[in-house]
Amino acid sequence: MIDILLSLLGGVLPSWLIYVISFLVNTTIILIVTPVTFMMMTWFERRMVARMQDRLGPNRVGPAGLLQAVADGVKMFTKENITPRAADKWVHLIAPVVATAPVMFLFAVIPWGRGLEPSNVNVSVLFVVAISSISAVGLMMGGWGSNNKFALLGAMRAVAQMVSYEIPAVIALLGMVLFTGTMNLNNYSALQGGIPLLGSTLQELGVPDLGLGWFVFTPIGLLGFGIFFTCVLSEGERTPFDIPEADSEIVAGYMTEYSGMKFAVFYMGQFLFNYALSMVASIVFLGGWNGPGVGLLADAGLPFLAGLLSVVYLFVKTWFLFFVMIWLRGAFPRLRMDQLMSFAWKFLLPLALINILSAALWLTLMLWCTGPSCDQSLWVVHIAGVNPLDWMGSAAWVRQLVGLVVSGVINVGAFFWLLSINRRPGGETPAELAQDQVFGVASLP
Amino acid sequence: MNILILVIFFGLSAFTLAAGVMVVTVKNIIHAALWLIASFFSVAALYLLMEAEFIAIVQVLVYVGAISILVLFAIMLTRHVTGEGVRQLYQRWWVALIVAAALFGVLIVPTVFNFQWSVPTAPDQSAGLSSAVQIGTAFMREYLLPFEIASVLLLVALIGAIVIAFEERASRRRVLTLAEEVELRRQRGESLRLAATPTAPEAQNTGSAPSQP
Amino acid sequence: MNMVEAVPLPWVLVVAAGLFCIGLFGSLSRRNTVGILLGVELMLNAVNLNLIAFWRYLEPNLVAGQVFALFIITVAAAEAAVGLAMIIAIYRSRLTVNADEVDTLKG
Repeated sequence: MIDILLSLLGGVLPSWLIYVISFLVNTTIILIVTPVTFMMMTWFERRMVARMQDRLGPNRVGPAGLLQAVADGVKMFTKENITPRAADKWVHLIAPVVATAPVMFLFAVIPWGRGLEPSNVNVSVLFVVAISSISAVGLMMGGWGSNNKFALLGAMRAVAQMVSYEIPAVIALLGMVLFTGTMNLNNYSALQGGIPLLGSTLQELGVPDLGLGWFVFTPIGLLGFGIFFTCVLSEGERTPFDIPEADSEIVAGYMTEYSGMKFAVFYMGQFLFNYALSMVASIVFLGGWNGPGVGLLADAGLPFLAGLLSVVYLFVKTWFLFFVMIWLRGAFPRLRMDQLMSFAWKFLLPLALINILSAALWLTLMLWCTGPSCDQSLWVVHIAGVNPLDWMGSAAWVRQLVGLVVSGVINVGAFFWLLSINRRPGGETPAELAQDQVFGVASLP
Repeated sequence: MNILILVIFFGLSAFTLAAGVMVVTVKNIIHAALWLIASFFSVAALYLLMEAEFIAIVQVLVYVGAISILVLFAIMLTRHVTGEGVRQLYQRWWVALIVAAALFGVLIVPTVFNFQWSVPTAPDQSAGLSSAVQIGTAFMREYLLPFEIASVLLLVALIGAIVIAFEERASRRRVLTLAEEVELRRQRGESLRLAATPTAPEAQNTGSAPSQP
Repeated sequence: MNMVEAVPLPWVLVVAAGLFCIGLFGSLSRRNTVGILLGVELMLNAVNLNLIAFWRYLEPNLVAGQVFALFIITVAAAEAAVGLAMIIAIYRSRLTVNADEVDTLKG
């Protein structure tokens, strides 16, 4: 964006003004596209859940009910704006904004397609993690500022859940940072070209760039994707992790006292958070904008077509992940609070740590120096004067295969080991079940 | 451009200091914690202005995402005594004010007298700033021992916090079900109006509630 | 076109000093132990601001400034965790979080 503007207006305007204009244009695009996305998401979710539950869903406003979201928006705008008398007025008012604004920030670093990057932040993976944790403050403000027990309970559940699930999510992402060696989301898609499993390591042998070297096809990426997507479900408060707003237990959690536009803003924040995290998951694990044809079109000198195709790929992947979320909502009941916590801390967290370990082993195998010129290299350890990995040779695909086998064995072993030791989770014996029957603020973590 | 940076700097600094003042003066401790988050944020923006983007993001991640949440949780778990109406400052708070103001006066002296910082060599601004990659490398080379010590410190803090704040399940104050509440009142011969349910923590703590069966 | 040219170093240091003194006042004058902790966090932030300013203005090519800031953030996180755990433990046993009411050790 900046490059285009610089070439167009370079002689006319001072450079800093061009920067300001380009940021404003980017912001405007994001602020227009995301609410429309939100409206489409609500429609899509309602139609899909309706289909799974054997009913029709919204079908009156517009063709196939497509304009239902607009009607809902009008209704939200005209609804009375209620603030409880005992509420903390300012905190109550600001909370939806604090919960939603960070989600908008997220879109600033997420690329939409090949060459379509709103900004170029070097540590954007960390940025996504850091900014998404701010939403928790907004939820806490909403829960506390409403002066309502359900709201406070919901907020404490939500925040405890978000904080717990953030850790495995971060560690799963860190595994991929080790894998790729970059923390810039803009670089991830381009690294996932080539063919499944081997990536672009066979390029010298004449294998074309199919754009299918997605990290999800490697053991490390598969496990990381599983962990990350589970955490996304939990952080976005989707079934089966929708305990914070469990309608049947605590009304709507922290949103209980919100009405009209304030509620709509909360709701938008939640949906867009799901969308943004689905986008991050598809960029980091599912190849992002890379897919069959993008690399070929770009090589053939058709960057515009390649860009268009890349946008379509990323869009389809993101909406597929969102569809999986809806699918899970239609299929699964809700977990209990203690099940949720022990799942995060006793299963996902150790699994993510082991995933990082196997990513490190993979990296070591890839970087291990072989051959005669290795005496000065940092990446070699001689045992009794012999290089133990000399047999790997120098071909990248051999190393890749060896690394995949090693990490795959570790990951599969770790998965089944953790499954077996978590078979009977704590809190399940009859005596403990009797203790857990009553839940209150005092028994929350 | 310089004017723009100057304006942003003054705006952020004023906001940081104003939020800091609100943190230490505001009556309600939750509002103080929320103002603290605002202050953390503008400090992070100042880091960005100084082109330390990694530190800025870590600031947001650790301070806003972790420490503030922890503080809010702690306030809410102790909220019966932290509301408004309780005296928030010591009676001799003005002594603290004098100490702080005197310290600020001493600290500002070099600036007032236009002290020149003795820079050994003029910093080479063109050579590029140290990036996240260099920080990571430094942690693995020169600063390996401090890095390991910091990780041990975090582990110790983790275990220590759990040990200190851990509460035996059996000694946990339990929230009564409605049926238990009604039964308790019937035993005591009180009226069955639930609106008059005592909610103060003392009422549950003095042993009036039946302990865990 | 960067901060070094636009803003002199002492101004940043004055901001950091102001933040430090505000935090000092807060931690000396608050009765609530959580309030004291908030003051300490402000002071740590002021120190970090100083470190980053010195790094940016004086030694932008070395990582030491940023590394020190990261260590301080680590220590702040540990301190907050243990401090808040202690506050919760004190609240459980004494039902107060005010520093002047927790005076059992006073002779």
